[in-house]
Amino acid sequence: MKSVVIGVESTAHTFSASVVSSDGKILSNPKSVYKAPPGGGIHPFEASQNHLAAAPSVISEALRSSGEDLSDLSAVAYAMGPGLGPCLRVGAVAARTLAASIGVPLVPVNHAVGHIELGCLLTGAKDPVVLLVSGGHTMIIAYSELRWRILGESLDLTLGQLLDQFGRHHGLASPCGRAIEESASRSNHYLRLPYSVKGNDVSFSGLLTASKSLLDRGASFEDVAYSLQETSFSMVAEVTERALAFTGKKEVMIVGGVAANKRLTQMMSAMAERHEAKVLAVPLEYSGDCGAQIAWTGVLAHRSGIEVPVAESTVRQSWRLDVVDIPWRG
Amino acid sequence: MWLTSPGAAEGVPGRLLYRGAEADVVLGDWQGLQAVFKVRKPLTYRLASLDQEIRRQRTVHEAEMIRHAKRAGVATPFLYHLDLPASTMVMEYIGGEMLRDLAGCMAEKDAEGPFFKFGEGVARLHASGMMHGDLTTANVVSREGTLVFLDFGLAHRTSRLEDHAVDLRLIKETIVGAHPGISRTALDAFFRGYEARAGAPKFRRVRSQLRNIERRGRYARVA
Repeated sequence: MKSVVIGVESTAHTFSASVVSSDGKILSNPKSVYKAPPGGGIHPFEASQNHLAAAPSVISEALRSSGEDLSDLSAVAYAMGPGLGPCLRVGAVAARTLAASIGVPLVPVNHAVGHIELGCLLTGAKDPVVLLVSGGHTMIIAYSELRWRILGESLDLTLGQLLDQFGRHHGLASPCGRAIEESASRSNHYLRLPYSVKGNDVSFSGLLTASKSLLDRGASFEDVAYSLQETSFSMVAEVTERALAFTGKKEVMIVGGVAANKRLTQMMSAMAERHEAKVLAVPLEYSGDCGAQIAWTGVLAHRSGIEVPVAESTVRQSWRLDVVDIPWRG
Repeated sequence: MWLTSPGAAEGVPGRLLYRGAEADVVLGDWQGLQAVFKVRKPLTYRLASLDQEIRRQRTVHEAEMIRHAKRAGVATPFLYHLDLPASTMVMEYIGGEMLRDLAGCMAEKDAEGPFFKFGEGVARLHASGMMHGDLTTANVVSREGTLVFLDFGLAHRTSRLEDHAVDLRLIKETIVGAHPGISRTALDAFFRGYEARAGAPKFRRVRSQLRNIERRGRYARVA
């Protein structure tokens, strides 16, 4: 019998709820996104206030536009972590309340696993090397023996943080990815920047410092944006290529907010071609944070019997994806 | 992943053994010797000027580092010839099996021997004042019971604790990430091998630095 699950996402700037059916149809996915002030990043408390105000209407809208009724829900899934504490708690409270009041199980979901599983649903990826690039993550991941395993990652900043902090230094508001991509597309003047690959891992902190100081010394924003993209994306492509060559897999899936960047996808395609691998990019609407990633992973987890009593349904600000069991991929 | 199309690497006649992330490894003939040609071909996704500099740098480094590792008593391929403009190295061919492939089909208890030796070899490299920079199980080949270390393209001369710990971090990441079935024994044997060669004080310091690096990771909880 078909069942539907509602998923609540609230790990960072986005509050979103989504209804997904057990056969993988996304029936709704409305969101409310907190906007940071220019030059600033996400203020966790301010973002949580946005989520608090938005929660009732976003959840109602998710149900209404899905055409399903409260009584049709078989479970409520929520992003237990990782993320910003104040933001996570808003989603957790909403999900607990909903689950307790209609008497269905509460299903905890790891946000990063959510990105990956939704990506696999939408792109049809079977056994991919995953590049997860967002404000919260920069990781190269592949599935093996019950878990998504981390094959490489950033040792300091994430790619999203690198772009945001660079953009904010120039007075832009987070998220800055799109503005940086546009500016970069107007330049082809490469300025030398530090390229830091350490084995399977990358490090962005020196690159950020050098890029900011180029701006401070009067280099044009377009040129530095272009050079920053070229350098950081090359580093990410190189470590992804290493994971691809090492595992011999034939699919590369890009997920997370930075997956929206066309230059990154283009570089990844050129890289994958050398290994006769396919690049699978998640559609824009679903590559960033959204309720659907939580709802769909909730469907899979619920099917495997994963749930949490309301009394134990805490949030976990730090929750690496490689400690999460994935019983539905066996 | 071992491709066999003949002549697949331009300019070097021979059999493509392996297409790695940054180089094609071709088995060919050099002055009548069976030899491996490691060709760092241009990566088209990278900006040409950036790409050229990275390839040249890594080729020079690799030749120097192989010589250094040999002096430290670690088995590596012999270097026959270096062609810098083509970013190509010609080296001794090492027949044998990659530790990665051995690890992929061994019982957990059999991980003890090879991973202990792996740890000893890495400690030797570190004691000589260098880091390997790319210590995955695909870069170590077992030949008649001896572990031969390959791919010094990311190696550096360094005695910094942080750099040595970065080497260990990659090994740990690879063992835990790519060989979860044998990871407990393999990792334990590796660390004991390292300690046996490096001595307890150095091992303690590098291991505690490894923990520091892991703590810097995203969402990390380090025991």
